[in-house]
Amino acid sequence: MSSFLTELSRNSHAVLIAIGQHIGLSAVAILLGILVAVPVGVLLTYHTRAAKIVLGIFSVVNTIPSIVLLGFAMIFLGIGYIPATIVLFVYSLLPIMRGTYTGIKEVNPNALKAAKGMGMNRPQMLRLVQFPLAMPAIITGIRLSTIYIISWATLAAFIGGGGLGDLIWMGLQSYNFHLVLCGAVPVTILSLLVSFLLNHLIKRASRHKGKEVAT
Amino acid sequence: MVHFVNVTMAYGSHIVIDKLNLHVEEGQLVVLIGPSGCGKTTTLQLINRLIKPTEGDILVNRQNIKNVDPVELRRKVGYVIQEIGLFPHMTIKQNIEIVPRLLGWDEERKAARTEELIQLVNLDRKYLKRYPSELSGGQQQRIGLLRALAVEPPIILMDEPFGALDPITRESLQNEIVALQKRLKKTIVFVTHDMDEAIKIADRIVLMKDGKIVQAAASKELLSNPANEFVEQFIGRHRLYSGKADTVADVMSDEIVCAEKTLSLIEAVALMRHKKVPGLFVIDDTKKLQGKVSIEQIRKSELSEQDALETIGIEQICPAFENQSAREVFDRMEAEKIDALPVVDEANTVIGVVTRSSIVRSLAEVVWGNQS
Ligand SMILES: Nc1ncnc2c1ncn2[C@@H]1O[C@H](COP(=O)(O)OP(=O)(O)OP(=O)(O)O)[C@@H](O)[C@H]1O
Ligand SMILES: [Mg+2]
Repeated sequence: MSSFLTELSRNSHAVLIAIGQHIGLSAVAILLGILVAVPVGVLLTYHTRAAKIVLGIFSVVNTIPSIVLLGFAMIFLGIGYIPATIVLFVYSLLPIMRGTYTGIKEVNPNALKAAKGMGMNRPQMLRLVQFPLAMPAIITGIRLSTIYIISWATLAAFIGGGGLGDLIWMGLQSYNFHLVLCGAVPVTILSLLVSFLLNHLIKRASRHKGKEVAT
Repeated sequence: MVHFVNVTMAYGSHIVIDKLNLHVEEGQLVVLIGPSGCGKTTTLQLINRLIKPTEGDILVNRQNIKNVDPVELRRKVGYVIQEIGLFPHMTIKQNIEIVPRLLGWDEERKAARTEELIQLVNLDRKYLKRYPSELSGGQQQRIGLLRALAVEPPIILMDEPFGALDPITRESLQNEIVALQKRLKKTIVFVTHDMDEAIKIADRIVLMKDGKIVQAAASKELLSNPANEFVEQFIGRHRLYSGKADTVADVMSDEIVCAEKTLSLIEAVALMRHKKVPGLFVIDDTKKLQGKVSIEQIRKSELSEQDALETIGIEQICPAFENQSAREVFDRMEAEKIDALPVVDEANTVIGVVTRSSIVRSLAEVVWGNQS
C-alpha cells in the first residue's frame, strides 16, 4: 500500500495530466453522443420500423469488442486523440438512443391524448410533455454510456488517445504493478463519481413519481 | 353551437358513427348516453377534431371545422378526457395552468385564475404544489375538470368526468356543473353511463346505440315517451313515468268486496267468509255507495238471517275520490287506522278500493318497475 502511495506521489504530475486527458476524452465523446443520439432517438419514435433497423445495427456494433474497433480505427483513421474520440463516440450512441426512444415511447398515452386535446402542437407536446416524462430514461441511457466510455477510454491509450490508460499500459509493459494501480484506481473512482452524480439527476427528474424511485 | 350534419365515421369497414345528425344549442347541457362502444367518445372527439369524420360536416359556431386550424379549435374547446390524463410531471398548479400557458397569459393572470378555480371545487390550496400521483382519483378528476375550465371556453366536452368519484363528491360536482352552466352559459356536451346523472343535469339527453341516435329529447319527454323498447330498457323501467303513485286512481285496486243493500244477512256473512274480509261496502242497485257493515255488527244484531242488510243500520263512511291525492288518503288511513277505503267517482259510484296492500303494490311498481 505504502509503495503504491509512493509511486503515486512520485508520478502525481503525470497522474493529474492523465486524469485531465481521460475526462476530456470521455466528456467530448459523451457530449457529442448526447448531441447526436437524443435527437435521433426522438426522430426514431416517429418511425417504428426505422427505429428497429437503426437500434439493431447499433446493437451489433456495440457487441464488437472495443479493442477490435479501436484496431479498425487505427487502420483507417490513424493513431491519436481524434480516432480514439470517434470510436468512443460511436459506442456512446446506442444506450442514449435507446433510452430516448423507449422513454418517449413509454409516455402515458393518456397524457398525450390530453395534451393534444388541450391544443398543444407537436413541438409543444415534445417540449412540455414527452421530453420531461422521458427524462429519467434518457439520463439512465447517458449514465450507462458514460460508464462504458470511461472504462473503454483506458483502451484508447492503445491507439495513442492518452489518458489514464497510458499509465496502465506503461505499468503493464514494465511489470510495474503500482503504476497500473495509478491508472486503474482513478478510473474506478471517476466511474463511481459519475454514476453517483447521474443517479442523483435521475432521482430529481422522477421526483413526481412520489415514493417509487427509478433505478 | 355544434351541428353534426350527416356525419359518418368508420375505422376501415367498421362503422362507428352512422350518418349522425345532432344539434347542440348554445348554452345547452346535452348528455350523450348509451352502452359501451356505442360511439360517445368518438362523437366528442369529432367536435374538437381529435378524430376526422369519414363523411359529413361538423359546424362549431357556424364554422365548418374542416376549415379551422385544429390547434386553435382545441384551445377554444375545453376537454375533460375519460382517463383524466393529468400530466404526471407537472404540479397541480402547472396542470391547471396549461392552456393559459399555451395562450401566453402572464404569471399574475394565471395565478389569479387558478385561485378562482380551486375554490370552485372545494379543494385546499395546499394541493396546488403537489403532483397528481399524490392526489386521490376523485381529486385528480376535479383537477381535470378545472383544467378544462381554465380559459373559460364557450364549449366544454366532458367524457365521463365523474366516473371515479364517490357518490357525495359526484353529487356535489353535478350540482356544480349545473350551476356553472346556468351562470356562465356554457355549451356542454357531457358523456355518461349513468342515467340518474343524465336525468339530473341534462337539458337534453341523446341516447345512442351502434353509432346512431335512438332518441334525443328533454329528460321528462324521454321518461314519459320512450321511443322504443331499447330506450325503455336502457332508462330502466323503474324510472319511467308510467309507474306513478300520485292520485288515488294510481294506487287503488278494483278488487272491492261490495254487497247490495237488499242482500240477506246470511248471504252477506257467507260472502265475507268466502272473500276473507271482516266487512262489506254496501251499495244500491246503481252501485252508489251507501256505507259499510262489519261482521261484528251482524253478529251482535237480533235480526233474523233473512232480513236485508239495509235494516241493520248501515254505517256512513267518507270514501276516497279517484282524483284525490294518494298521499292525503294514505295519511288519513294511517291516522284513523282504516284498513280499506272505497273509491268513488264524481257520481258517488264505487269504482275500487284503496287498501294498505294496494298502496304497497303501486309503490313497488314505482320503485322496481311493472313486473307483470
Ligand atoms: N382507434 C380505434 N380503432 C378502431 N376502432 C376503434 C378505435 N377507437 C374506437 N373504436 C371503436 O369505435 C367504437 C366506439 O368507440 P367509443 O370509444 O366512441 O365508444 P364509447 O361509447 O365512448 O364507449 P365507452 O362507454 O366504453 O367509453 C367501439 O366499437 C370501438 O371499438
Ligand atoms: Mg368512451
